[in-house]
Amino acid sequence: MEEKSYLGGIADGLKSLTTGLKTTMREFFTPKITEQYPENRATNVMFDRFRGSLTMPHNEQNEHQCVGCGLCQMACPNDTIKVTSEFYETADGKKKKRLVKYEYDLGSCMFCQLCTRACPHGAITFDQSYENAVFDRSKLKKVLNHEGSKCVKE
Amino acid sequence: MSEELKSQAAAPQAAAKPAAPRAAVAKPAAPAKPAVNELKPTVVEPAALRAELVRLHDKEGMDFLLNLTGEDWMEEGLGVVYQLENTTNGKQACVKSVCPDRENPMLPSACDLWDIAHTYEREVYDFYGIIFTNHPDMRRLFMREDWVGYPFRKDDATEENNPLRMTNEPLSDFTTEYSLHEDGTVEKVQHRVWDKDDYVVNIGPQHPSTHGVLHFRVALEGERIRKIDPHLGYIHRGVEKISEQMTYPQTLALTDRLDYLGAMQNRHALCMCIEQAMGVEVSDRVQVIRTIMDELQRIDSHILFFSCLCQDLGATTAFLYGFRDREKILDIFEETCGGRLILNYNTIGGVMADIHPNFVKRVKEFIPYMRKNIQEYHDIFTGNVIFQNRSKGVGVLTKEQVISFGCTGGTGRASGWHNDLRKLRPYAAYDRVQFNEVVRTEGDSFARYMIRLDEILESLNIIEQLIDNIPEGNFQEKMKPIIKLPVGTFYSEVEGSRGRFGVLIESKGDKSPYRLHYRSTGLPLVAVMDTVCRGNMLADLITIGGTVDYVVPDVDR
Amino acid sequence: MFDFSIITTWLHDFLMGTCGFAEWGAILTESVLVALAIITLYAVFAIALIYMERKVCAFFQCRLGPMRVGKWGLLQVFSDVFKMLTKEIISMRQSDLFLHNLAPFLVVTASMVTFSCLPWNKGAHIIDFNVGVFFFLAISSIGVVGILLAGWSSNNKYSLIGAMRSGAQIISYELSIGMTMLAMICLTGSMSFSEICQDQYVNGWNIVRGHVPAVIAFLIYLVAGNAECNRGPFDLPECESELTAGYHTEYSGMHFGYYYLAEYLNLFICAGMASTIFLGGWAPLHIYGLDGFNGVMDMIPGALWFLGKTFFVVFLLMWLRWTFPRLRIDQILSLEWKYLVPFSMVNLVLMALCVAMGWHF
Repeated sequence: MEEKSYLGGIADGLKSLTTGLKTTMREFFTPKITEQYPENRATNVMFDRFRGSLTMPHNEQNEHQCVGCGLCQMACPNDTIKVTSEFYETADGKKKKRLVKYEYDLGSCMFCQLCTRACPHGAITFDQSYENAVFDRSKLKKVLNHEGSKCVKE
Repeated sequence: MSEELKSQAAAPQAAAKPAAPRAAVAKPAAPAKPAVNELKPTVVEPAALRAELVRLHDKEGMDFLLNLTGEDWMEEGLGVVYQLENTTNGKQACVKSVCPDRENPMLPSACDLWDIAHTYEREVYDFYGIIFTNHPDMRRLFMREDWVGYPFRKDDATEENNPLRMTNEPLSDFTTEYSLHEDGTVEKVQHRVWDKDDYVVNIGPQHPSTHGVLHFRVALEGERIRKIDPHLGYIHRGVEKISEQMTYPQTLALTDRLDYLGAMQNRHALCMCIEQAMGVEVSDRVQVIRTIMDELQRIDSHILFFSCLCQDLGATTAFLYGFRDREKILDIFEETCGGRLILNYNTIGGVMADIHPNFVKRVKEFIPYMRKNIQEYHDIFTGNVIFQNRSKGVGVLTKEQVISFGCTGGTGRASGWHNDLRKLRPYAAYDRVQFNEVVRTEGDSFARYMIRLDEILESLNIIEQLIDNIPEGNFQEKMKPIIKLPVGTFYSEVEGSRGRFGVLIESKGDKSPYRLHYRSTGLPLVAVMDTVCRGNMLADLITIGGTVDYVVPDVDR
Repeated sequence: MFDFSIITTWLHDFLMGTCGFAEWGAILTESVLVALAIITLYAVFAIALIYMERKVCAFFQCRLGPMRVGKWGLLQVFSDVFKMLTKEIISMRQSDLFLHNLAPFLVVTASMVTFSCLPWNKGAHIIDFNVGVFFFLAISSIGVVGILLAGWSSNNKYSLIGAMRSGAQIISYELSIGMTMLAMICLTGSMSFSEICQDQYVNGWNIVRGHVPAVIAFLIYLVAGNAECNRGPFDLPECESELTAGYHTEYSGMHFGYYYLAEYLNLFICAGMASTIFLGGWAPLHIYGLDGFNGVMDMIPGALWFLGKTFFVVFLLMWLRWTFPRLRIDQILSLEWKYLVPFSMVNLVLMALCVAMGWHF
């Protein structure tokens, strides 16, 4: 660092300070970037790839794609998913597996997407919900298949 | 996942497909050609290790200890792998030494050859219980001092020995040295960390400017710093240990959580290591996308660096300008990756999803926007006489020091060490772009600061060259359902946001790694703090800590 | 120009005559009334300043600032104060309890007494006598005792370092404050705040009248005054990134609230003094030769002039605070001893020369 003269140092210093002051004064009048969150709920749209929480989409007939194979459960590094399935006999006498209960714990999910990638049927996906805060941890445990739903392929 | 659950999950599947062809895949896949990143360490007897290291250091000019990995080879014993590099000609060496004695393993210390060995050896001692003789400070590095056992040993009963302790963590004022005498006997010597009348101030673990839970014990003389003793491990999660129980795709999920400002690059390194070990070639498209993402991540990290430094030095307004701009990058990330901090983008053999249709447009808008705002940063902060006086000549590191401490990244380049891996050993798409390696010679805080701001511009250049020429191709190679690595030791590294981030995988051919070690970019940066801060003022600790730019989850892992 | 002393005289006469108070009784009643007025004003201005600071700072930072409580966050500060009042005052083991509890009162008392030195309007001074400037300087330095006591009694290393820094800083900067004030006293020829204002009403504002040396003195005063208030970029006694909260690390509840109040009121006092000494206090803007314009300006009450000028200076100080990074302790001291003190000395000589030779307006 080169030594400046006493007065030269003051002049340079003052110049740098006024540059800073000019910058902040300019910003004083620029549009503000704050987003007022609860007020903008209606307009605040998340990106479609945003990972909110795991869901199992159902169609109008209350049918989902899951066959209960358990691949997602195997892929999960955190034991977040618990698939309960049972065997039943189809009309032509074959034994097939179907989903009974798909339990998902949002509290231990780390959104790594291994489950959605592991699923061969595209039965589970991440939705765009972001208001996931609850007062009780037990409320984070969810059952993803709806009451009385069944697989499309049944 | 516990064994019980795994078998439960596997059972219905096996029942569903009794003759599943999984068994064929289960064999370790033989790579078509030898993996490019395989390490072939020279095995040296513990007795001859010291002589060999001295020879490599003095004769071969291996002045940079890149990485030191402790390992447990069960019956063979415990040992370490040294990775060394000659910074002049780029030659590398790898030395492995195994102690067959599991009860009382001892190896000679190398902390007089490379400064960083001091910290690395403490880490190995902490995890494997290998005692390095003549090391002046054989304390644990990450675990509590009253921890029982050595958690990374394969036979360690970690959970049984270490119930949740409700007592305060003890913090010893003494260090132990196991000094080795000429006749081969080992004597235990105690050293004091603090003198009786040292005025010791705790900076951390909860402190506004340690950038995470990091604890410095600082001995002061008035406002001047006499000595610093960093105390790490507050956010140690044992990521490497956890990874040993996980399948390769599962280990990916943890890399984003190491250095959260280098999430892209960390995961890139791990994916690259696994891909190269398996002999998988990813498409050009993936290479270019990964390069762009790495550079966006670097800009993100450097903007945050700027913001936090401003905040630490009291320029709160500049802090928010940085965050305003970082928001744009995070939006770009979120649109393509679905996350802002935990990005989850690279996968083995490609990327999670193709780039979003808006990606190119947004990035192109961002480049001129950022170039304009860099000027604003310079106006409000860089040129400011207060900042200049606080940073110029403060915390000077010489080139020898940064190499000996292994401080890669911007901190090393500020002291004149050309260590940019993108130039030294180009990976991904870095060989097809033109950019300058930003290097300065002053080695002070101001140089470290300027390096980062200039690197933002270089990163913008790189992105600008690539963004219009993203080649067509698969964004994901077809991979086998179960990924297994061939037997061997593999090491890949990338240029992370704050230095060379390396991944060392030792594979026994299983679906999970036998040993997975990350070369942390931040650990050398914290290790150097004592050296660089001594004699400076308390306020300079904040400046220096801000400019060397460590991220604590990356240090502690 | 409206003279506030009409009201005070009327009140005095009212108490003496109509209510039949004795002289001492009347003065006692008046003192109580004035004290109540000061405390109320003190609280009101603190709230106004905190709100202003939060909004101004937010606007510099591309933010909106408080928006949630009340329209545009107007009630935010009230709720903050209410919160602070409900918080427990925690006393530390192994701290000097008596001094620990005394310290915030010293700080807040010092700032309240200096607050009452301000001339609000023509004839509306609370403390006004012939060496008012001396009194102001003397009382304002009691605050530093409170800060030092707080640092010492907290039994905390951060607090102690913060207090020591604060001591060094405030004592140093008092020198240049005194020197710049001296320069202006040189120009007006009086140490009484009421006479300084009256003089500026008649002869024009000091900053115009004293031209170059007055402007230099004004700038030095702004810097030194900012340092005196422990505000950024001179906020290193409580500098958050090193010392968490400096000397008031260990304070909670309303004890912390006192420091908080005193910080903002000191800002107001510092700005109020600047407007009194340099910008004419309650004296309205007069342009020589424009009698009509001057007449209109005279219609605006003096108190409004005073507050307008003061808040303008407050804004300047906030602008400084929210632009610059913090100085280091050695920079603070070298700024004072190597730059401000020599400059203000030279400036004093220059001013004396101007006055002696009649080079002023």
